[in-house]
Amino acid sequence: MSMTRAELQDAADKAFGQSDLAPDAEKAWGLIAEMGFLMMAVPEAQGGLGLGLEAAGVVHDALGRVLVPGPAIAQMLVIEALNAADTLADRDSLIERAVGGEVMTASLALRNSATLLTCVPNADRASHVLLVEEARIALLPMDGLTITPRDTWDKTRRLFDVSVDGSTPQIILAEGNASTALAQRLSMQRSFALAADSLGGANATLRLTIDYLETRHQFDRPLALFQALKHRVADLKTAIVAAEALLWERASDRAMDAITMGALKAHACNVYRMVTEEAVQLHGGIGLTMEHHCHLFLKRAMLNAALGGDADHWEEETGRQALGQAIA
Amino acid sequence: MTDALDTLRQEVRLWLEGNAPQDWRDHCTTEEAFVDLQRSWFATLAKGGYAVPHWPAGWPGGGRGLAEQKVIYEEFARADTPRLLLSFMSTYHAASTLFEWGSEAQRQYYIPRILDGEIWCQGFSEPNAGSDLASLKTRAERQGDVYIVNGQKLWSTMGQFADKCLLLVRTSSEGAKQAGLTYLLLDLKAKGVTVRPIHQIHGDEEFAEVFLDNVEIPVTDRLGKEGQGWAVAQSTLSSERGLTLLELSARMRGALWRIGDLIRANGRDNDSGILRDFGRLATKVDAACAVADQFLANRIAGEERVGDASIVKLSYSRTLRGFTSLGLRIGGMDTQYHDPITFGGGMETGNWMADFMNSYAWTIAGGSDEVQRNIIAERLLGMPREPKSWTLKEAVA
Repeated sequence: MSMTRAELQDAADKAFGQSDLAPDAEKAWGLIAEMGFLMMAVPEAQGGLGLGLEAAGVVHDALGRVLVPGPAIAQMLVIEALNAADTLADRDSLIERAVGGEVMTASLALRNSATLLTCVPNADRASHVLLVEEARIALLPMDGLTITPRDTWDKTRRLFDVSVDGSTPQIILAEGNASTALAQRLSMQRSFALAADSLGGANATLRLTIDYLETRHQFDRPLALFQALKHRVADLKTAIVAAEALLWERASDRAMDAITMGALKAHACNVYRMVTEEAVQLHGGIGLTMEHHCHLFLKRAMLNAALGGDADHWEEETGRQALGQAIA
Repeated sequence: MTDALDTLRQEVRLWLEGNAPQDWRDHCTTEEAFVDLQRSWFATLAKGGYAVPHWPAGWPGGGRGLAEQKVIYEEFARADTPRLLLSFMSTYHAASTLFEWGSEAQRQYYIPRILDGEIWCQGFSEPNAGSDLASLKTRAERQGDVYIVNGQKLWSTMGQFADKCLLLVRTSSEGAKQAGLTYLLLDLKAKGVTVRPIHQIHGDEEFAEVFLDNVEIPVTDRLGKEGQGWAVAQSTLSSERGLTLLELSARMRGALWRIGDLIRANGRDNDSGILRDFGRLATKVDAACAVADQFLANRIAGEERVGDASIVKLSYSRTLRGFTSLGLRIGGMDTQYHDPITFGGGMETGNWMADFMNSYAWTIAGGSDEVQRNIIAERLLGMPREPKSWTLKEAVA
C-alpha cells in the first residue's frame, strides 16, 4: 500500500472533517469524486489506486462521522463488480465514468427478487443499477426502469424500489461460478462499508455526547463529573475501540468470507445502536428534539442495522459457522 | 523482521511438541498436583529458554522484544500449556521491580533465585485499602539495621505457596499519604509471619492473607529510599501490562469449542436463539483479541496512551463474563452439580459454574471494572476528575 491509513485518514478528514453534519448532497458527491475516493479500491492497472479494503474503511468511516448523504457504498459495489468483469469490452470506460462521479447504484438489501430491487440509493440520479442474482451479475441501464421513492426516517439516505422486467437490456458482468464468487465479495464489501460507516458515526456521536456532558451543568457542576454518567461513557468508548480494532484486523485479513464480514457488520451496528441510544438518553430533553443532532445519528444507526442483513441473520450464520469450526 | 518472527514461531512450536505437558487439565484437581505441575513446567521452560523472554538480555532466556514475546505467548496459548500462575509474580512483578530499583547486590542475590524457581507474592492490598493503595496502614519502624513491621495484607495472589513477598508499608504518617510509603522485600519464612489461604467462592485458593507481627526486615532488603515506596510500587504494577491479556484473550478464543460442544451435546444445533448468542459471543471474543493485539502493536510502536490498557482489561473482563455465563446457561442443570475444579486451569476449563464465578476475579482484581471506567473517562477521554472534597462537603451540607 502506497499510502498509510493515517495519511488517508488525514485526507478524508480534510475533505469532510470540518463540514457540517449531513452536508449538501450534490457538493459532497462532487467532493468524493474529486478526492479520488471512488478509485481507491480500483486496481492500478485500471487507473485506480489499488488500495483495497482498508482504504475503503477509512473513507466510509469519514463519511459516517459527518453523515455524508449519497450512494457511496452502492457505487463502490458497482465499481468492484466492474473490476471483476474482465471480458467486458467497454469495462474501462464504464469504470472511468463511475469513478468520475456518474452515479451507478446498487441495492443495499440482503436479498432481492429477480423483478424487484429494494433499498437502492439515489436511483433517480443513476445511469445504471447493479443486479445480483444467483447465477448472474449484471449492470442495467436505468432508462425505462420503474422506480418508486421510499420515504425513510433517515433523511441522510434516499432509497428507492426499482422494478426490473425481462425485457430490460443487461450488461453481463459475471455468470456461473464467477458470479457466485463475486456475489460473496460484494456481500463482504457491503458489510465492511456499513461497519465502517457505523463506527465513524458511533465515534462522532460519542464525541458529541462528551462535549454536551462537559458543557451542561446541573446541581452546580458539569454532568461530566457524575460517575454514573462517566462510567456509561467509558463503556461506550471501550465498545467502540474494540469494534474498531476488529474492523482493521478484518480489513487486512485475506481469509475473510461473507459470514465473518457479516458478523463484523452486525457487531459494529450493535455498537452504533447502543451508542446512539445512550446518546439520546444522556442528552436528556434536548436529545429528544429535532433541534439537536442526536436523532440524525440514531436514525442512521437504525438504518445501517437493517441494511445488508440484520444482526439476527448474521449472528445466526456466525453461530452456525463457529459451531462447524468448533469440532474439537 | 517477519521472517525472523516466523522462524521463532516454528522453533517454539517444535519445542512445544516435545515439551508441552499433555492432559494436565484432567489431572490438576488437587492443590498438590497443581503445585507439582507448575514447578516442573517452570523448570522445563527455564531450561528451554522460554520462562523469562521479557527479561533483559544477559539473563538466560531474556532479551526478547515485545513482538517476539507475543509470538511465544500465542504459541503457548495455541498449545494450551498451563499458565505460569505460581511463578508469575516472581518473573514479572518481582523481577522487573528489582531490575529497575534494585541495587547491584540485590539483583545479583535475588534474580538467579527467581530463575531457580523461587516464588514471590505481592503484599500491597489491605483490608481497608483495595484500590486506594495510598491509604494502607501496615506499619514499619526503623530500629538500627532493621525495620519492625506490623499489620495485615490481603489478596496476595498465590501467597500460600510463596517464599518471598513484595511488601508495601507505611514508614511515616506525615505529609501526603503517598510520601509515607516504603518498599520492602519480605522473607515469608521470617519469624512473626502467618500466611492463611482465602477460599474463593468456587473453592479454589488463589489468594492469601498475610499477618505480620513484629517481623524484622533488614534495611538492606529495602528497594529505593525510605518514602519512595509509591514510585517503586507503580513500576511493579505496570510490569506485565498488555502481554497477559493478549495471552488470555487468545486462550478464550481457543476455548470457544467448549461452547460449541455443549450446543451439540444438548441438541441445540438448530436453535436460532442459541446460535445467535453463540455467534454474537464469537465476534465479541474476536474483538477482545483484536483490541489486545492492537494495544501491543501500539506499545511496540511507542504509541501507547494512558488508559489504553484499561480498555483492553475492561473489554476482556466483560467478554469473559459473557463467555462463562453463556456456557453456564447452555449447560443447563448439569452445571449446577458440583464437579472437582481444575486448579490453575484458567477460566475456560468447561466447569461452567466454577469458570463463571472465577470470571469475577477479572472484573474485581487488578483494578476493578469501575476503576478502569474512571481511568478511561478521566485519562483517555479527558472528562473532569471528581474533586476530592466534593463528597465530603456535599455530605455535610
